[in-house]
Order: sequence, then C-alpha cells, then structure tokens
Amino acid sequence: MLTEREIHRYSRQIAFIGEEGQERLKAAHVVLAGAGGLGCPAATYLAVAGVGRLTIIDSDKVEMTNLNRQILHWEQDIGRNKTVSAREKLGAMNPDLFIEDVCEVITGQNASALIGRAALIIDALDNFPARYALNLAALEHGIPCIHGAVSGYDGHITTVIPGETACLQCIFPDPPGGSEFPIIGTTAGIIGLMQAHEAIKFLTGGGTLLKNRLLIWDGRDSSVTFLDLERDPVCRACGECTQGAGSERGEP
Amino acid sequence: MKITVRAFARFREVVGDVTALDLPEGSGLPALLAALASRSDESRDLLVDEQGTIREHIIFMVNRKRVSRSALDSIILAEGDEVAIYPPVAGG
Ligand SMILES: [Zn+2]
Repeated sequence: MLTEREIHRYSRQIAFIGEEGQERLKAAHVVLAGAGGLGCPAATYLAVAGVGRLTIIDSDKVEMTNLNRQILHWEQDIGRNKTVSAREKLGAMNPDLFIEDVCEVITGQNASALIGRAALIIDALDNFPARYALNLAALEHGIPCIHGAVSGYDGHITTVIPGETACLQCIFPDPPGGSEFPIIGTTAGIIGLMQAHEAIKFLTGGGTLLKNRLLIWDGRDSSVTFLDLERDPVCRACGECTQGAGSERGEP
Repeated sequence: MKITVRAFARFREVVGDVTALDLPEGSGLPALLAALASRSDESRDLLVDEQGTIREHIIFMVNRKRVSRSALDSIILAEGDEVAIYPPVAGG
C-alpha cells in the first residue's frame, strides 16, 4: 500500500501509471550492476521513480576522470567507494527507498549470490567478462536483464528475458576488446536513461520492451537504428544443449 | 551486382553511413569485407586483426538476418542485398 506521502510525491506519474503501477515500483527489487556512466543516470531515475529496493554493485573507487559522466559522484567523493557515494546521493534524493551497496567485482563465482531474487537487473557494467558472468547468473535465476553499453558517441541497449529472447552471449558471442574507452558524458546519460526507462516499463507493464531488438544509438546525428535479434540455438550460455556450459567464460 | 552496406558506430565514421558496392556476380560475404578492408588502413584495422582474420566481435547482418561466425565464409550475396556491420561498444 502507498502512503499519503507517496501518493503525493508520485502524483504526476500515478496519473499515468496508476496507483497499481506505483505499487509495483515500490515492491520491486532492482539490481544495478555498475555505478558508473550508465549506472548513475539509471539509478537516479529509478530512485526518484520510487523503485522500492535498489542493490548497487561496483568495486571501484571514484576517480577524478569519472566526473565527466558519473553524475552521482562529485569532487568530494574522489577516493571513496562508488557504491557508498551512490547510496548517499540516492538516499538523499529519495529517503523512502531501501538501498544496498555491494563493493565487489562481479565474477562467475559470486554473480548468482549477488543478484539473489531481484525482479530485474540493469547491466551497466564496463567490461564483457563481468557482463557474461551477470548474463549467466540472470539466465540461471530467470531474471530479466537490461543490457546497455557505450563508447564515444555510440551506444546500444537491449532487454534480455531468459528463455524468451536472445541472451547477451547470443548477441555478442565474442567480447569486444578495449578497456579504457573514450566517452562523452551525454552518451552514457542517454543509454543509462533508456535502461531506466526500459526498467520502468518492465516493472509497471507499460509500453513495448526492447525484446530481441538491439537499439543502436548514434550520437553523431542523434539517429536510432534497430537490429532484430534471435536466440542462438547453440549459444554457450542459453543454448538448449549447452545450458551452463559457458560458465568458464564468465571469468575475468 | 550492387550490394548496400550499412555501417554503424566506429565503422560508420570510417566508411560512411550507407555505401553501395559493385561486386562480381556470385561474390560472398568475405569478398565484400575484403573490398571494404581495402578502402583504407583504418577500415582494414576495424575489420581484421593482425593475422588478417575478421575480428570476432563484429556483428554482421545480411538482409536484417544475423550471420553467425561459422556461416560467414559460406554466405553468397545477391543483387540488392543489404549488409549491416556493427562493431559493438563495450563500455559503461
Ligand atoms: Zn544465449
């Protein structure tokens, strides 16, 4: 049940998604994997939308070079854990939420335990080994995962529903290389916000999800293209006869 | 025969948005990629590694259908086909 305060706070969106939609957001547990360029905008909008429980996973500390895009982290946070910095800001924005911070690297060993029984996962990570580990754990638990990635002016996003859509490994069987990528803050902001947007639709049952569709954002001319996707029957992560066989690929 | 190439992300920067290529009848996807790679050092660098193998992470679609790595060499193109090339991004 929503409190009077909540009905007032969210009145502008309740007018759109109804009290039932707001209650769904309140009841939801969303895991945010990554509190960086994608995770900051995604977490911000999920928090102010009233998603009741957020788990933020990131092992990094805030660095000066993060500040062009990681908007939850400020000058005063340099050297602090990103998860703590993010939890404090989000808690101040919306004190009604339950926010957990987990300062760990996501690996094949811990991914399953970290995501637990969440309703939804936001893949806002910055590298494919961790993304693959998260994908496998999400498949194992049957938890939908909204994947986003960015570099420079480019970004993409898709929603993975276990057993229904192509999984991350179906779409990207081989990891794109590169560790330090150039990035314009707004590219991460746009894709991170699209991830939050997709999450809100998923949780409230509104709109149409990016299922089996890869949305490709090109910031050069602000154009959007869709690639149609399908499951790979011999996918190392979700293929019928290879279930679980891809776990070794989750190692960093 | 005319083949349309739709390039995305970094690859679009290098070869342009939509490129029309004229290839001999019966050419396969590898011939198209070789033609694209020969356009510039940057183009070659994005498509193939030091050994000359097509980079594994690149996504190829022919007429909006995904081409798997194992099928890449056996795809024969036809007049009017559209090939989309997306080198995915990974950062966050
Ligand atoms: Zn798969």
